[in-house]
Amino acid sequence: MSAAFMNTPSTAPAAPLHQPSPGLWMLAWRRLKHDKVGMVSLAVVIIFLLMMVGSYTGLIAKNWSKEAGVSYANPSFMAGAENLEAVRTKADPNAIKIEPVDLSDIDPLAPRYKEWAERTAKIKTTETPRAETLPFGGDKWGRDVLQKAIKGAETSIFVGLFAALFAVFIGTTLGAISGYMGGKIGDLLEWFYNVFTSIPYILLILAFAAVFASSPQLAAYKGVPMVVAILAFTGWTGIYRLIRSEYIKHASREYVKAAQAIGASNSRRMFVHILPNVSHVCLVQLSQHVVQFIKAEVILSYLGLGVPVDSVSWGTMLAEAQSELVIGKWWQLAAAGISMAILVTAFSMLTDSLRDALDPKIK
Amino acid sequence: MENLLEVKNLNVKFRLDGNQIFEAVKGISFDVPKNSTVALVGESGSGKSVSAMSIVRLLPKETAIISLDSEVNFEGHNLLRLADDKMRAIRGKDISVIFQEPMSSLNPVFTVGDQIAEVLRLHTRMTRKQAWSRAEELMNEVGIPNPKLRMNSFPHELSGGQQQRVMIAQAIACEPKLLIADEPTTALDVTIQKQILDLIANLQQRHQMSVLFITHDLAVVGEIADHVVVMQSGEIKEKATAKAIFETPQHPYTKALLSCRPSVDQRPKRLPVIADFLRPEGVNKDNLVQRKRGYEAGDQIVLEVKNLSKKFTLKDGLFKRREVVAVKDASFKLARGKTLGLVGESGSGKTTVGLTLMRLHNASSGEVLFDGVDLLKLSEKDFLKYKRRIQIVFQNPYASLNPRFTVGQILIEPMKIHSIGRDEQERTSMAMALLTRVGLPDISFYKYPHEFSGGQRQRIAIARCLTMKPDVLICDESVSALDVSVQAQVLNLLQDLQDEYQMSYIFISHDLAVVKYISDQVMVMSEGDVVEVANSDEIYLHPQHEYTRKLLGSIPKGWHASTVPTA
Amino acid sequence: MGAYVLRRLWQMIPTLAGVMLLIFVLFNWVGGDPALVLAGKITNKDQIENIRKQLGVDQPAYVQLGYFAFEVATGFTCTWKSYTDKAEPPKLDAKTPGSAADSATKAKANSGCQAVRSWATNEEVPKILTTRITPTLTIMIPVLILETLLGVILAIGVAYARGTLTDRMIMMICTVAMSVSFLVYIIVAQYIFGFQLGWFPVQGWSDSFWKNITYYAPLPIALAVFVGLAPALRLYRSFFLDEINNEYVRTARAKGVPEKTVMMKHVLRNAMIPILTNIGIALPGIFVGSFLLETFFSIPGLGREILVAVNRSDFPVIKAATVYLAMVTMIINLLVDVLYKAVDPRVTFK
Repeated sequence: MSAAFMNTPSTAPAAPLHQPSPGLWMLAWRRLKHDKVGMVSLAVVIIFLLMMVGSYTGLIAKNWSKEAGVSYANPSFMAGAENLEAVRTKADPNAIKIEPVDLSDIDPLAPRYKEWAERTAKIKTTETPRAETLPFGGDKWGRDVLQKAIKGAETSIFVGLFAALFAVFIGTTLGAISGYMGGKIGDLLEWFYNVFTSIPYILLILAFAAVFASSPQLAAYKGVPMVVAILAFTGWTGIYRLIRSEYIKHASREYVKAAQAIGASNSRRMFVHILPNVSHVCLVQLSQHVVQFIKAEVILSYLGLGVPVDSVSWGTMLAEAQSELVIGKWWQLAAAGISMAILVTAFSMLTDSLRDALDPKIK
Repeated sequence: MENLLEVKNLNVKFRLDGNQIFEAVKGISFDVPKNSTVALVGESGSGKSVSAMSIVRLLPKETAIISLDSEVNFEGHNLLRLADDKMRAIRGKDISVIFQEPMSSLNPVFTVGDQIAEVLRLHTRMTRKQAWSRAEELMNEVGIPNPKLRMNSFPHELSGGQQQRVMIAQAIACEPKLLIADEPTTALDVTIQKQILDLIANLQQRHQMSVLFITHDLAVVGEIADHVVVMQSGEIKEKATAKAIFETPQHPYTKALLSCRPSVDQRPKRLPVIADFLRPEGVNKDNLVQRKRGYEAGDQIVLEVKNLSKKFTLKDGLFKRREVVAVKDASFKLARGKTLGLVGESGSGKTTVGLTLMRLHNASSGEVLFDGVDLLKLSEKDFLKYKRRIQIVFQNPYASLNPRFTVGQILIEPMKIHSIGRDEQERTSMAMALLTRVGLPDISFYKYPHEFSGGQRQRIAIARCLTMKPDVLICDESVSALDVSVQAQVLNLLQDLQDEYQMSYIFISHDLAVVKYISDQVMVMSEGDVVEVANSDEIYLHPQHEYTRKLLGSIPKGWHASTVPTA
Repeated sequence: MGAYVLRRLWQMIPTLAGVMLLIFVLFNWVGGDPALVLAGKITNKDQIENIRKQLGVDQPAYVQLGYFAFEVATGFTCTWKSYTDKAEPPKLDAKTPGSAADSATKAKANSGCQAVRSWATNEEVPKILTTRITPTLTIMIPVLILETLLGVILAIGVAYARGTLTDRMIMMICTVAMSVSFLVYIIVAQYIFGFQLGWFPVQGWSDSFWKNITYYAPLPIALAVFVGLAPALRLYRSFFLDEINNEYVRTARAKGVPEKTVMMKHVLRNAMIPILTNIGIALPGIFVGSFLLETFFSIPGLGREILVAVNRSDFPVIKAATVYLAMVTMIINLLVDVLYKAVDPRVTFK
């Protein structure tokens, strides 16, 4: 029925001689351009990526760690509100202890507060006049929350992006080998996959985190590289499964058989013929895993298993925000929560749009 | 004669991506008289299925637009204007439908008994028990053996033919006045097709219903239809009684359709195609230059296959392994410039023979002698230089070309692998020349496969093989997925190329008429066994083996056969 | 069927061996010298050597692997050393001396078998795991049931209204809801419903199941269901839409089956197959529970225990939990595959 009319060749306008026609990527891009939601999402993602590059190179949010305002400085739009904590800190500059409710039971970072305090003490504070208000408020030490959120975005996106790249690389390589080769090698990789997936995902992450954190050899890589490694080593399995089944499917397709018939080698069939035909799956997986890993990084950092406290991330911000909320200081929570929500929403919608645009049904 | 159904000015459009509109059916009108069979014939994209589905309003609501002045009158109602629940009451009761793919058309998780009983419970006042026993009677009526037991089977436990019988039982359960059959035999083997066609014709007579039979195959139409409607790209080209269509076709398209499909009793040098009929002088069907086929004494043998066998081992149970024999002791010879036809139904092992002898599958035993060398014994490295001499064209034109390569890359790749041509420039010009040879414009070189139709893609696949100048070309169902008019063009091309390059073909197909037409010698296979090998004309005139006779008897004979009263 | 289950159990052996190998490699090599991890800040060489001996890490790798295999085989209720030596249990008091040294320990000393103990609390690991599982399941079983039921019901509704504005709005809300971190939901909900409104206790747990389920558990359960619903709804909707596009749906319509029956009978029955797969994947996770919820609401569950163990580098607890849960996962997977037969008649046990 509908298949019958789908077969009707859509008459493409005759292209001028010697100009290559649009390939499938080009056609997918054209489809994506027609997708308004997709394009807006793409724009948001690009803005965040630019922000990441900007803050990495020090163009923006360079002074995020500067204690520019009074403790818990109000956001500019709430300039009039009273700020008891700031008053108290002013009266007694040494009193940083603000803990109206004892959260140490539920706050996994409780044992680390002392450590933080020590570290902050080490950072030489240049006494500059402290502002009463900051654009989006200040944290306990009077740091600009907006700048922190930008810096936090840098860490979170960096981790999400690179962990996803590594996971896709591992998953695709192993999946391609397993799906294409099959046989003994395939069985071995399947065993490997079964081992990893028979441990619940959360537990696997925590086990890796525990081991990596205590390893003396890996001590030098603590922080961002370690989080990337943990997420990548535990997160490749889904991609492996998908790519493997794609390779099995494509290896039996006639175009691959035809390549074999003309004498194309195994590696040529695997990488030159099949890989471009599954690359769109990789791209969608990449995008999907960036989202997943950003969320995971936030939780790991919150738990103190992620990035160290001196490099801010959305997760560490949320950890601080938890106790701040109780005393009514909601802006750090809002800043981290909202910026993350915007990025992740945009990324998820982009993933959906990508999937639609790359739909291989249209061939 | 009184009309049961009148379709007037039916116009159906589809919304495509990016606000495009595609007009699938362009204002057609036809009638279905009471107690008769009307065939709606056309190639893919003709709009035949869309027309039929719009009668019962089964087109996707989101994308299909039926224009407001269209009418489908059935027993005094315009079905297109009927309220949803009234239409629903008609579907399955007064008008029922059977589809092309019985396997996917039946719900996999319910027993077939449940599915037949469901339609009875919906439209009659039968109790659960009554419906169940009536369903059993229906299973019996459509010829399913042991219906009592089969009632509790799930669809996947039945063969394709039996599944289609279940669909038919379900369709006739409520004694419909109109049965719409949408390519009901296309997915079935030829012997099963024959049985299903007989069943439908039989039921039509017994239940005094009308049948709207949708098909691409005119030969089938001749067997079953009283009236024929020929469609092409959304328009009706001709409508008449079956007798008139077959004996005095008026429209060139009808004429072309009738004669571009090879028949068993003729072998013209070239098959006439639509373009031939559009020329003012037309084609005289009975006056075509005929071609002689058959192996002769002096033929040079290029390929000799001795006792080729292929077994697959499947895991079965804890440690057990089960062997499935796909090909058993196949032996044959292939002469230079001649064609060996390999024919059989699905599961006969014919494709496996092709793949095994060019080592796309590993043979279990046997010899493939090419130039006196046993190809199966060569190392992978030594085999490479023989690879270019045996090539293959696959069935599915949509899957056999890498969608990420341009046609140029597709053609140049084999030349690079086998170091044909001095440099890129020479290879490019060779590729261009081949494109011209297979009838494609130069510009194709820069295009991607998705920009071509099925027939054009098959030409590209052929050109890819030609780059290596093979001695043997294996055509594995290469024309089966194509529309008949396109099929004729590709067959003509293959004939021309054989004449020009003296290539030998191994032509694998389930289609006996096509095999007869193009082959010098024919090898009939059944369940892995070679049943019979003989010269083409010989095998069709004097089949020796029981199975060959059965196979030949199932070929739809078209009009002439059905005019002769059957005993 | 029997043969199938046997074969599956047989196939679990290499997988379990792999899990053990992975854990062994991770914790004995990658994690650094276990003795040093246990010793913590102790730098005395003799003491460290002593710990090393007690842990058996002075032995070659294959011997250590053997010890580990023995522990796994006994379900961590017996260490190889205690089994062979029948000696005094190793006094692992390096970190928190005597904090949990209960009298039962001494009583059992003579029986020969000593369970693997936590490095941090000296508690018996099997006991830790078995006592912590109840609170976790008290939370997670209601979560799984509610989430699946609500997810399926809403998904049917949304799939029925596919393409409409309602459908698109709900999908949009789901995407946005999914992009807010679970952390934010917990922090905000605990603050609003616990601190501010006082509708629920901020945190806590009791020994009474009834009190837990009616008083302490509702907020965590509601949170988990709320957060899990959006992805479940999206996923289940896609399952329904995949089924709606199948040809058997067209056949049902051609038979005159009303659209609602098409959805509730033909489509639902088929969509149950991927839904069951999905539940099967999610099921092992309920044993780990939501460690975030358990941490925030002070629920003495397995997730929190594992997290505490990770923070303290309490390797025996993590190792045992991992092996146990891997076994549970494999058994659940087998059960789910057997259950398939009930849902999908095409499944054959080969």
